[in-house]
Amino acid sequence: MSTVLQSLSTELADAVQAAGRAVVAIHARRRIPASGVHWRPGVVVATSHTISRDENITVTLPDGITVPASLAGRDPSTDLAVLKLAGQSVPTARLRSDTPPTVGELVIALGRPGPSVTASWGVMSRVDGPWRTWQGAEIDSLLRLDLAIYDGFSGGPLIDAAGRVLGINTSGLASGVPVTIPVATVERVVTELLERGTIRRAYLGIGTQPVRVPESLAGKLELQGDVALLIVSLESGGPADRDGLLLGDVLLELDGTAVSDSADVLAKLGGDRVGRPLAARVIRGGQVKTLQVTPGERPKSRAA
Amino acid sequence: MIAPPLVTAGLTQELAAAVDELRRLTVQVRTRGAATGAGVLWDGGGSEGRGLVITNAHVVRGDRATIELNDGTTAPAHIVARDLKRDLAALEFQADRALISAVVRGSPPLRVGELVIAVGHPGGLAGAATLGIIHLAESEREGRTPRWIQADVRLAPGFSGGPLADATARLVGVNTMMHGSLALAVPAAAVEAWVRRAHALVAP
Repeated sequence: MSTVLQSLSTELADAVQAAGRAVVAIHARRRIPASGVHWRPGVVVATSHTISRDENITVTLPDGITVPASLAGRDPSTDLAVLKLAGQSVPTARLRSDTPPTVGELVIALGRPGPSVTASWGVMSRVDGPWRTWQGAEIDSLLRLDLAIYDGFSGGPLIDAAGRVLGINTSGLASGVPVTIPVATVERVVTELLERGTIRRAYLGIGTQPVRVPESLAGKLELQGDVALLIVSLESGGPADRDGLLLGDVLLELDGTAVSDSADVLAKLGGDRVGRPLAARVIRGGQVKTLQVTPGERPKSRAA
Repeated sequence: MIAPPLVTAGLTQELAAAVDELRRLTVQVRTRGAATGAGVLWDGGGSEGRGLVITNAHVVRGDRATIELNDGTTAPAHIVARDLKRDLAALEFQADRALISAVVRGSPPLRVGELVIAVGHPGGLAGAATLGIIHLAESEREGRTPRWIQADVRLAPGFSGGPLADATARLVGVNTMMHGSLALAVPAAAVEAWVRRAHALVAP
């Protein structure tokens, strides 16, 4: 009777079955298990917010066997964690990194919050350029989903209709809204976590607040924009304090780029900036002054 | 003029045909005048002039109900079996003609990701349909059927007691409740087994 409808049904189930072979259950919290994806041989990617302990982590493989796993590292700012398994012959995920997903594309979210794989379907609702999480990490592209979130959503893969992985799903990055961390970001974070165990981020040790520069002053100093950042807090002994920035300085530019909100500052503070001086242009006492500041490595759980 | 995309056009037609087929075997159940849910026309075992409807126990509170067929005809019905634990009820009514009945999918087993269609009457909207996929397929251990079919399909009150079917309109379950945004349906095989047992007890 039906042909297209039946074919679609079969192909969706095939995609789930194929991709599900690389989806594992992760036991690292009190509640039900979370999901993870066997990304590279012996390397499982999961979400950081679903791993509440660093020790005694086990992983249930698609064939039902539960094995111990060790935490190779985690990055709360991208909500990713990397686990290592010893000597497993589970297939790795088939990644789709050549063509990005498109708005309206049919997608399936997989999970394994127990022995069996689960699925929900929907469409890509938004595909956009790079964005920054509230903790300052850069995600290569914004992938928003129109689908239902069930137990096991976070840490599971988003797959296309051919069963290829488009990224790792999480509800922990955008206040409960389902987003997918794209393959490129996962690859980058996995490589760094495997090498170093943490993700390096630069920091200055300042707190800022946007302020409008009075027109008269902006004119006199020949400024580009009229919004700059007032330094309202300064970590004592931190990189900015050490290099001579003062409370009350108004930050105009960092590394030659105008800054008008804290995201502009974070954008200049990637892991590769640690120890490399930046030019900071500030208004101090009605005069424009340029100072050299050298970002330090951000200690854990510190914002900017 | 732009020609419609072939696959999408075929898909739309076939989906409409499957929904039509399901609508013909979906009834509305009313208790004391109020629409309370849906029901599925069931093979009553060849008893002439009598129709059998399976629904949820929570859809029929009393012993009597009115059913309305897809063509608009109504008939008084009475409960012949009820199981609160399984949330199932069987209703009988006088039928003046031969009725179609649901075809249960016995095999192959359900797969995660398979398409499913639900038909019901949410908010008095008769014969509404939603499309989703199978969310979880529990492995059938030792021949035991799982307690629930779990589907990623949006249901609302009014779908209760109605059919959940596969892409070929074969019955896979009777929609029973929502758990978050997940639809839970009594597996068709379990309904079939229950009807066989329960109906045998009351059959004349």
